[in-house]
Amino acid sequence: MSAVGSDVPRVDGNAKVSGSAQYTADIELPGMLHAKALRSPHPHAKLVSVDVSKAAALPGVIAVVTRDDLEGLNPYYGAVVEDQPVLAMERVRCVGDVVAAVAAEEREIAEEAVELIEVEYEPLPAVFDVVEAAAPEAPIIHEERFETQAAIFREQLNLNAGGNVCSVFRAGDGDVDAGFAEADGIFENTYRMPPVQHGHIEPHVATAVWESPNRLVVHTPCQNAVGLQEQLARIFNLPESGVRVVVPHVGGGYGGKTHARLEPVTALLARKAGRPVQWVLTREEVFLTGRRYGGFVRMKTGFKRDGSLVAREVEVFYDLGAYALSGPANAKTGSYVASGPYRVPNRRLTTYAVYTNLPPAGPYRGVGVPHVAWAYESEMDRIARHLRMDPLELRLKNLLQEGDIFVTGESLVSVGISDCLRQAAAGIGWRGREEQADGATEGSLRRGKGLAVIMKSTTTPTASAASVRLNGDGSVMLLTSSTEMGQGVRTCLAQIVAEGLGFPVERVTVSAPDTDVTPYDKSTSSSRTTFHMGNAALRAAEEVRDQLLEAGARALEVDKADLELAATGVSVRGVPDRSLTIPQLLRVKYGDAVGSIFGSCNFQVKGGLDPKTGKGKAAAFWFFAACAAEVEVDAETGKVRVLDIATSVDVGKAINPLQCWLQNEGSMLEALGAAFFEEMVFEQGQPVNGTLLEYMLPSMEDHPERFQSLLVETPHPDGPFGAKGAGEAVIPAVAPAIGNAVANALGGVNITELPLRPERIVAALAERAAGASRDK
Amino acid sequence: MRHLITATVNGRERELSVKSNQTLLDVLRDDLRLKGTHEGCSVGVCGSCTVLVDGKPVSSCLMLASNAEGRDVLTIEGLSRDGNLDPVQQAFLDHQAFQCGFCTPGMIMAVKGLLNENPKPDQVEVRDYLSGNICRCGTYVEVMAAIEDLAAKGQ
Repeated sequence: MSAVGSDVPRVDGNAKVSGSAQYTADIELPGMLHAKALRSPHPHAKLVSVDVSKAAALPGVIAVVTRDDLEGLNPYYGAVVEDQPVLAMERVRCVGDVVAAVAAEEREIAEEAVELIEVEYEPLPAVFDVVEAAAPEAPIIHEERFETQAAIFREQLNLNAGGNVCSVFRAGDGDVDAGFAEADGIFENTYRMPPVQHGHIEPHVATAVWESPNRLVVHTPCQNAVGLQEQLARIFNLPESGVRVVVPHVGGGYGGKTHARLEPVTALLARKAGRPVQWVLTREEVFLTGRRYGGFVRMKTGFKRDGSLVAREVEVFYDLGAYALSGPANAKTGSYVASGPYRVPNRRLTTYAVYTNLPPAGPYRGVGVPHVAWAYESEMDRIARHLRMDPLELRLKNLLQEGDIFVTGESLVSVGISDCLRQAAAGIGWRGREEQADGATEGSLRRGKGLAVIMKSTTTPTASAASVRLNGDGSVMLLTSSTEMGQGVRTCLAQIVAEGLGFPVERVTVSAPDTDVTPYDKSTSSSRTTFHMGNAALRAAEEVRDQLLEAGARALEVDKADLELAATGVSVRGVPDRSLTIPQLLRVKYGDAVGSIFGSCNFQVKGGLDPKTGKGKAAAFWFFAACAAEVEVDAETGKVRVLDIATSVDVGKAINPLQCWLQNEGSMLEALGAAFFEEMVFEQGQPVNGTLLEYMLPSMEDHPERFQSLLVETPHPDGPFGAKGAGEAVIPAVAPAIGNAVANALGGVNITELPLRPERIVAALAERAAGASRDK
Repeated sequence: MRHLITATVNGRERELSVKSNQTLLDVLRDDLRLKGTHEGCSVGVCGSCTVLVDGKPVSSCLMLASNAEGRDVLTIEGLSRDGNLDPVQQAFLDHQAFQCGFCTPGMIMAVKGLLNENPKPDQVEVRDYLSGNICRCGTYVEVMAAIEDLAAKGQ
């Protein structure tokens, strides 16, 4: 193998360092207008009246849209539940809900016009805490529910659980009560994880133009071009082919650009204006548009004296905010891994996706897993401390192994998890049980090491389609709807296609998503692209290869197996004189030396879970990762310094090891931000720190002094060249590894709520000191 | 209110009619159509809009365009000469010091500014200087490696 497995330079490099890469906000269409929205200042209110007459009369304003403009359209959309109106209908459900929008000749005019819109609200009781919102007496946020159009979700989720609980998912094994009865020890704790920002530096942005009443063209940095196409088609009563979604370069996504956000409003404005409209969100608006679910976890664990886990009961509440997006599916993703990557014979795992009157959340790297991993990996260290066992040994003793039957009933394959954990632990010089003994102290400084290990599914069942086109000069085009958002997918897919054909990587160009041209893809999310689109691309390439070899075999009168394929053409193995160029092969195939040779593949993975039993096949592949960290905590100030951090991921096969490193480095750093300081704060539903001045993202100064990105390669039998996914794997393991390192540094002071802000650490130490003096 | 100003942009003297409240970023992007400079936060903390003004990095989202009068503005588009990448751009390529690329032009301009001031920065100086250029993809190790390389080569 040559193309696959090497650090092939990124195919988008030159455009990105030269500044010529075009992002959506860089697009200017002739006659293009600029949009601005009026957003709700209330977390929950009845929308009594909206008067836009003054705004519409302002010179330079071309269109103003409100709920009245949705007449005759399908006003509600959503990936799983159609609960989100294009514009607020009878009520607003969070601060930032879009009530009206303006398109004007200039941005400043649009901003001025929005100020002229008069709205009468009638405030309603609101609920912000996810556990309170799930209670039966909570104010109801959605009076009506709208059935999803997607059959897969109807079949695989328990929607409409009642009240504000949008969905519930249960998984389990054995007899939990009996398991607890036979336990030598039982721990029960609760954990919290706040909402955080995706933090893509490119804000949400879209450009829309109607080429005719039946033809909408949208440019947007979307991770899910086909899904957006489907949603826009449904909103505007168009066939899918009536909507063209084009994805230019994308300035980061991390899950935040998976779903329709501002595209429906932009399209509605463009329709009314009869001109192209561009809408670029301000950073403040980005804070009101998407985020990671906040979460609350209740976890009860029964264990034996020898460290084996015998029973676990977990309840998780994910805060969806005002609209579900893919929340119910993401909460399902958290459910079956809620007891961790461990053998637990008796378990009852329940996750709830709950509406609140906060701005909508959505998938963020790791989706539902960081929340449960924060809980179960913190618990593992508490159990180890209680039993005086090495936390590494305790984990290894309980970890899932190749061929184990998981809680979903499926047999696990490509399970490199123990290797990941050992590798990460070795990476920071893990010494064993003594890591939990009181360490050396120097003044107020305490050092500690911590471990964590996780597993995650990729969304299943799904499909990805790809088409490979060979040109007469031996250059190749891969047509794919996979979005390049920095993760290197174009380079990775080019490598796979090149390998499938035996061509140099430079011969392969990979398209950006354009739904006029590129075929179906579920989405660029869930770390699924290398596996799913990689398979589709590889098979499409092999189809092209077969056609070339067949033509060659026919013309050269040899067996296909005796031929070699290169970018120049085919030749008989060992007889380079007996060869045909690509144009000659085209002539053999088509009778003329011009034309294209196509290969295509619709790669599908079947499966899914029965929502009644939680059994079935949850994942086309599982990914496994570990993190080990060493920290230094100042016990006086609560300040933590990361001295060393090692991550390890089982990627199956690293198609491009450098890009895997970059994925892990980025995941590690995002997760460090969430572990130490990132937290969206709301007061009565109002954002308190909704700009990048108040909400810090990790900078170069936050990068740990030492970082290692380690890889395990346990080939997956169904993956292209054995590959799985890498994008999200590290994220859920980082915060618990840090939390455990801090706890070990402080001699067992566990903090259950993220982020680990200095004052929280100081308070936890003070609480322990107070407890110790009481005990005397 | 509009002002007529004269500024050098990417080596070329330009006469520009700017609004009194217009930022340098808006003039670069909207009027001069230099789209390589990106807007991320509009409050001067993410660094995506970094350009060099008289050789020093500036958040162009915070600088009023009228203050560019008589000054020398360099954007990402002005770095390459005769089709050749600037050494900093080349070092970013060599070290694959980017992912989504959105912060990259600003990061490259900040690195230019750093090396203008301090051709051999140590790691502490690098981290401090670039702490205002956020890469959410987290590609910091590679940027640091690119700078180390440039410093070693004396570029």
